[in-house]
Amino acid sequence: MGGFVSRGFRGRRRAGAEQATRLPPGQYAETGFPVLTAGPTPRVDLATWRLTVEGLVARPREWTWEEIQALPGSDFEGDIHCVTRWSKLGTSFAGVSVDTLLEAVEPRPEASHVVAFCHGGYTTNLPLEDLRGGKAWVVWEHEGAPLPAEHGGPARLLVPHLYLWKSAKWLAGLRLLDHDAPGFWESLGYHNVGDPWREERYWGD
Amino acid sequence: MTMDETDLRLDGNAVAGMLAELFGFDMTVEWGGCAGCGATNQLGALLVYAHGMGAVACCPGCGQALLRVARGEGRWWLDLRGLAWLQLDEQARVVG
Amino acid sequence: MGRLSWRLATVAEVRPETARVVTLALEVPGWDGHLPGQHVDVRLTAEDGYQAERGYSIASAPGSERVELTVERLDDGEVSPYLAGELRPGDQLELRGPVGGYFVWEPGRGGPLLLVAGGSGVVPLMAMLRHRAATGSQVPARLLYSSRTIEDVIYRDELDRLAAAGDGLAVTHALTRAQPAGWSGYARRIDAVMLEEVGWRPDEHPLAYVCGPTRLVEAVAGQLVALGHDPARVRTERFGPTGVP
Repeated sequence: MGGFVSRGFRGRRRAGAEQATRLPPGQYAETGFPVLTAGPTPRVDLATWRLTVEGLVARPREWTWEEIQALPGSDFEGDIHCVTRWSKLGTSFAGVSVDTLLEAVEPRPEASHVVAFCHGGYTTNLPLEDLRGGKAWVVWEHEGAPLPAEHGGPARLLVPHLYLWKSAKWLAGLRLLDHDAPGFWESLGYHNVGDPWREERYWGD
Repeated sequence: MTMDETDLRLDGNAVAGMLAELFGFDMTVEWGGCAGCGATNQLGALLVYAHGMGAVACCPGCGQALLRVARGEGRWWLDLRGLAWLQLDEQARVVG
Repeated sequence: MGRLSWRLATVAEVRPETARVVTLALEVPGWDGHLPGQHVDVRLTAEDGYQAERGYSIASAPGSERVELTVERLDDGEVSPYLAGELRPGDQLELRGPVGGYFVWEPGRGGPLLLVAGGSGVVPLMAMLRHRAATGSQVPARLLYSSRTIEDVIYRDELDRLAAAGDGLAVTHALTRAQPAGWSGYARRIDAVMLEEVGWRPDEHPLAYVCGPTRLVEAVAGQLVALGHDPARVRTERFGPTGVP
């Protein structure tokens, strides 16, 4: 049905001029924080919560909730972009930088990629470089409040320079590999890297 | 309003149109076997989580994904690994 | 192509039902009919190519002159405010279907019939009741319909007429937020006690169809099974996170 346009339909999008320059191609500004879920929300008990960083590292490590809270904190303030085309501008998260975790485990030289694995079975893959250099966090607070379960609480990965499906909710750990291993959406047509500024949404983009 | 997956959960009806476009007839009345627990269900009875990225249809018994579908830029991707088998009725039509 | 993919319908009439609900009467070229309970997917396209899709249950009975969709305007919705606020007669609409043979009732399937609706969940059940009336079916039927207030009841007059026809249909309303003066009916959300009072006994082996917001549908389906009804005879259509009546 190429070319049909619904008279007078604009959808929810409304972007001021200033916002438009901050938006990656094909995105619109959303003031809310839509919940996208591919399954039941895992309920994770903080008493048994662990974050594991393992794989091609010299010192695989597990942190309890208390231990990870005791690490030097790091905040993110900025924009997040969902592949379904909404972007949330000027939001904030708090947690720990992934750099802090990687320093503790000492990645081996051959480690090139990471799989984030989660309660409930979700996985996503990323190049290791995209988790380094102040670009990624494990977060447990959103806009000053504990991260709600429907948004990935107790803790999620946050990689805001990539599409939000890479910011895996209900994070259980990171596994370092010497090869790329497509995760839940990446094995179903979605891009292995997912850079919103290059519109890397699907395979072949 | 705070929303969790309870509010967002749908059933197989939610992917009826998408599956009809892919398979050529109404899949919601067809039967499938769960590769996880062996339960048999009409696809209309599956629990569906769907949003702009795609849809996951889960076994109402064990919760395992029977069917995952995504769509973008003129392509569909379908993962049926969770379906042990699918029974299709030769008489199946889009209407009924 | 054809019914398996998108085609253009023309809006013939936009008819208000309640303050937030309208019925769209559509002319659909090549429409081959549908079964009561089925739905269509509607797709809207903006000038820059942005698209949004939603499913809407068909309200009209098979054989009606036009295909009717009844749409509730959700405050934070993306598609419903357009359908139930912007669309005018003469506008066109892309739709795909009908689909959804799982949530279908026809008189040939027998009964007795238990229909449970929350809010706009009454729409596919109304198609079933309209078809039942149009075919002169005597299958005993009971509708339990939950709405916020009497003003929110969709098809209120028509339901009164159908229930007064003396052909074995009983309609029971539950008004959950506010009731008119003198209201002697249910004034709370549907629960197991209400289902037991209003519905059929398990040994009567009803066919049950439950439709509305997901929370209501899951609660009611669970209550019916807990009351002893056969899960295989309870069919659900979850509408997702619409306002809970």
